[in-house]
Parts: sequence; C-alpha cells; structure tokens
Amino acid sequence: MKQTVAALVLLAACAAALPAADPDIPGIVARLDQQARFANVDFSCTYTLVAEKPGEEPSVFKVRLFRRDREEKFLILFLEPETQKGQGYLQIEDNLWFYDPESRKFAHSSFKENLSDSDAKNSDMRASSLLQDYSIVAYEPNRLGKYDVWVVSLKANNDEVSYPKQRLWISQADNLLLKAESYSLSDRLMRSAYYPNYVQVDGRFLPSRMLFVDELNQGEKTQATIKDPSLAVLPDSVFTKAYLEKVNR
Amino acid sequence: MNGARIAFRNLSRQKRRSFLLGGAIAFGVLIITLVNSATGGFVENVQENFVHILAGHIFLEGLERTPSGRTVSVIRDDTALTQAVLATAGIPVRSLARRSQLTGNLIFEGEGVQQIVVGVNWAEEKELARRLRLRAGSIEDFLASPDGLILNEKIARRLRAEPGDRLLVQLRTLTGQQNVGDFALAAVSADTGILSTISAYSHRSHVNALLNILPHEYTSLGITVERLPSVDAAAARLYAALQSQVQLFPRLARSGNSDDIRRVQKQIRDDRWEGTKFQLTTINDYLGSVNQLAATLNILGIALVLILFVIITVGILNTFRMVIYERTREIGTLRALGMQRRSLRGLFLLESLFLSLGGALAGLAASAAVAGAMTLIRFDPASPFAVFLSSGRLTFKLAPANLLAYLLGVAAISLLAVLVPAVRAANLEPARSLRQTY
Repeated sequence: MKQTVAALVLLAACAAALPAADPDIPGIVARLDQQARFANVDFSCTYTLVAEKPGEEPSVFKVRLFRRDREEKFLILFLEPETQKGQGYLQIEDNLWFYDPESRKFAHSSFKENLSDSDAKNSDMRASSLLQDYSIVAYEPNRLGKYDVWVVSLKANNDEVSYPKQRLWISQADNLLLKAESYSLSDRLMRSAYYPNYVQVDGRFLPSRMLFVDELNQGEKTQATIKDPSLAVLPDSVFTKAYLEKVNR
Repeated sequence: MNGARIAFRNLSRQKRRSFLLGGAIAFGVLIITLVNSATGGFVENVQENFVHILAGHIFLEGLERTPSGRTVSVIRDDTALTQAVLATAGIPVRSLARRSQLTGNLIFEGEGVQQIVVGVNWAEEKELARRLRLRAGSIEDFLASPDGLILNEKIARRLRAEPGDRLLVQLRTLTGQQNVGDFALAAVSADTGILSTISAYSHRSHVNALLNILPHEYTSLGITVERLPSVDAAAARLYAALQSQVQLFPRLARSGNSDDIRRVQKQIRDDRWEGTKFQLTTINDYLGSVNQLAATLNILGIALVLILFVIITVGILNTFRMVIYERTREIGTLRALGMQRRSLRGLFLLESLFLSLGGALAGLAASAAVAGAMTLIRFDPASPFAVFLSSGRLTFKLAPANLLAYLLGVAAISLLAVLVPAVRAANLEPARSLRQTY
C-alpha cells in the first residue's frame, strides 16, 4: 500500500514538473476570426460611436452596417449626425469607396483610415482575417482583471493591414478577445481597444461594446455600441454604389 | 545733321503739342513695360520660390510596384541617373539634391498638425543651411541632433513647441504601414510666406528610418541648373541620355498641360512593370497654371499696347496733318530755297522719330521709377499673394529683347503714321505753298 501511495505521489510530482501542454494559439486566433466572420450568412447592425476629444463636445455618429463576408463586401451608411447623413462606405473585395451625397461622387478610400472623426478604423467594420494577415510571433499566459488570458503578439505579413503589429488579450476560458493593442512599425503603442461586453447572435459571440483609445493623442477615445444585430438575408442590391445613391434621393 | 537740328527746333517750337503727344507715347510705353515686367517678375518669383521648396528645376522619381499593387516612389540606386546628369553635354548642373520626404501628423502635447517633413542630406545642401532664416535655435544644434527638426515659426506656434521639445510624428511608411517616431525640435525658421509653411526640414537618414527605407535611398532627385531658360532643353537631353539606361515614363507633350498630366498619371496607374521605372518632370510641368496666367497677362498687355499704338498712330497722323497745314508756307519757302523733296520728307520723319523715341525713353524712365517705388513696398509674407513675391517684395523683369522691341515698335509706328503727311508735304508745289494764306 505504502509503495502504491509513494508511486502515486511520485507520479503526481512528475506530472507537476512536466510543462503544461502547449496551447493551440493558431487555433485560438482562427476561432477569433471565425467569431468575427459571417461565412455563410449576411449580417447587419447599427453602431453608435461616441468620440471624445479633450476640450470638445463628444461627437456622436450612428451608422448602419451591412456585411456579406463570403463575398468580401460591406456597406456602411451614416444615419447621424445630420451633416453626414447619407454618406457611406462600400467595400467590394479589396476596394473601398467613400460616397459623399453633397458632391454625389465616389472616392477611393482605405481600410486604414479612421471611420469619420472617430478612433475606429474602417477595417474594424470588416470581417476579421488575423490569421491570414499576421504571423504569431509570441504568446504568454497572463491575467487581465479577473480573467486568465493568452497574450498573443502578432506581426503583419503584408502592408495592407491597419497596424504592423498587434497584441491580443484572449480569454483562456472562452476564446473571446478582451483587449487589443496596436503598434506602429517602430513598436510605439498607437491604439488600445477594449471589448468588455459580448452578445450572442445565432450561437456566436459579438462584442456589443468596444472602446478604442488613441494612445498618441491623450484623451481621445471612442466608444462603439452595437444595436439590432441581425443575420437576416440582405438583398444583393445593398452592396452596390446604386444603393448609396438611391438612399440619398 | 542740319535736318536733325531743324527737326529738333520744330519740335521745340510747339512745346505744348510735342509734350502732349510725347506724353501719350510715354504713357503707353509705361503701361506695357510695367505689365510685361511685372508678369516676368511674377513668373520668375513663383519659379524661384518653387525651386527653393522643391530643390531643383528638373526632378527624377523612381516608381516601383509593391506586390499588392501599390505604387511607391523611391530611388534605390542612382548610379545611372547621376552618371547621365553629370556626363551628358548641355546640362548646366548647379547642384543636386537627393531628398526624402514624408507627410505626417506632428503631435505635441495634445495638438496635432499635418506637415511635410523633408529629409535633406545637409552635407550635399550647404546652401540651404545658409539660406534658412532662424527665429530660435541654431543650425549647429540642428546639425548635431540626428533626429533634429527645423519647423516654421507659424507651425511651431500652433503646436506651442519650442527648441528642445520632442515632437511625435505619426506617418505611413513608404509601403503604407503605420509608423510613429520622434523629432527633436532644434530650430524654428522664420515665416517667409505661404510656401515656407509647407516644409519642415530634418536629416535624410532619420526621415528614411521613419519611411522604412535604407539610409542611402531617397525619394526624389532634384537637379538645379544654372539658367532657368535652359530647363526644358536640359530636361530633353537628360531624358534622351537616360532612355537607353533605365525604364522611363513618357514626358509630358506640353509642359504644365493638365490633360497631359492626367494622361501620364493614368498610365502610371495602369502600367505594369518590373523593378524601378523613372519619371522625369520639370518645374514648368508643375507651374502650368502660372505660365498660363503669365501668358494671359502678356496677351492682355499686348492687346493694351495695340490699342495704345492705334491711339498714338491716329494722334501722330492728325498732329502732323495739322503741322503740315500750319507750315505750308514754310514748306514752300524751304522748297523755294532749294530743299529737295526727299530732304523735306526726311525732316518730318525725323521729327516724328525724335518725338516717339523721346516719348518711349521717357516712358521707360517713368516705368523704372514706378517699378523702383513699388519694389520698396513690403507685402505681408503670409498672404496668398506671397508666392508671387521675392522676400515679400514685388520684382520686375523685362527682357532686353522686349525693351528693344518696344522702342523699335514705337519708332516704326510713328514713322508709318507720319509717312503719308510727310509725302504730301514733300509733293507740295513751292509757288502754291507760298501763296497759301490762313
């Protein structure tokens, strides 16, 4: 009996001494992409963005987002403020156009640009493709508040992404993105994004509130909240230039 | 000689009439000279201001396609370019400027401003270091600081930054990646007009690091030639010399023509090429609208001078018809005393010539005086008009050929105008002329 107990204690000690099994970080990042990519369905919602700048009244933007990720398309239509009502962005694959109803003209835009005067990027509105655009260069277990997280460092493998380097805080329990830091090529922190709340839509978790903090311009931040998320089928005509023109008539 | 003396005497006999007619000619010459010389000054000042900003009359850019289809401007190897510039006959090179340039958001204590920062190889551009007028800091401090920055006083004031402060810059690298860096504000330059706020200066090596290109690489090669009029010819020779050595985009068919500029830009967008393809442009390509404005002003000046010439012609014609009518008996006397028709005709032509040349010279003198007085006025260097000024002042440039043309034109017109009355006077019968009574 003594021998058996001793063998078990030895076994437990050996097990404790052995390193924990390596987490499947690419798999975790892939799951983040899957959560934020609507592969087989359309997606629409309303975003309210409240942008704060020191010494200025907060600016409120309300946009309606329509996404068809399987065709790499999205359309953003400005609902508020009144001065920007009718403006819109249309993505078709790698092209992004901005429509201005005043001039009735479309102009090429970039996913790297900020969405209007907020700290959210146009790329924040499109389907996630972290695993495709970045390489995982490091990871470590850590804690963020009360959550155990994996902190994953990513480095861009192309020049088309908004930030050359990112660090992600991913909850170990449920693989949800809780925080993201975006860095410049020179490793300077440019933006921190926080994802404190999630809603469940058709079995998948979507961040219902996001906070983007500009780390270069002190005091500048934008809070984005999501409303009326829907996976209802959208007409093909939504993802066209004609749609943006039509809604402004 | 006698004819000239008599012609002078005749003009001085009618001082009031000669003064008015000569004054009209002088006024015409004054206006056209002022318009033409002011236009010449405008064009030269705009060109010079842009030459200082862009550091050259002729520019070479190397364009590359990234794998994602983006076009980036970088010169990685300039051996062929430098060789062609220095070895081709007929390119009077004064200096070369190998510069890198970034556009970024300068941030200091919560304030941000979009700014172009030019990375200069200061060992190559000593003249620029001498020419910069500094309000604060020193060029020595700047040269000693590897990430130093010289900022225009207006921009520094907006950022509330002073020498010694460190500024953040947020920019895109050459291939479009987000980057953030620092500048040490080493000196503040005097605001010498709208153009001086366009550029801030730093070291090329630091700008290159921020753009994520190698230290020896740069974004544009500026060639300053000795004489402004030789720019287009020198550019044509350089283009021909480079054609066999590097890939080149076609030159604009007409300098500064907006359709041509759009056509070449479209070609750059649509073209597919491997490696680096170079684009050669000149200051005249960028100043098309200025040259058009100058041409319009010159046409306006020419129209003005034609109107004035017509008035002068009619004035001279009528005046000399009256002169001949008044001096019919004198003509008869001169003819009776043996003066030949040719001499008599020449006498009137000389009178007209002296009158017109006197008027034209007076006009030129008045023009020089007015222009001289106007150059004393100092305009606000921050005004949009400043681009037409040289250090805040108007300048006047009149080509000697134009000067000669005005003198000859006025002389020819006055001779032509007086020819008919002079011939009529020479053909008068002496006996009938002597019988003429008023």
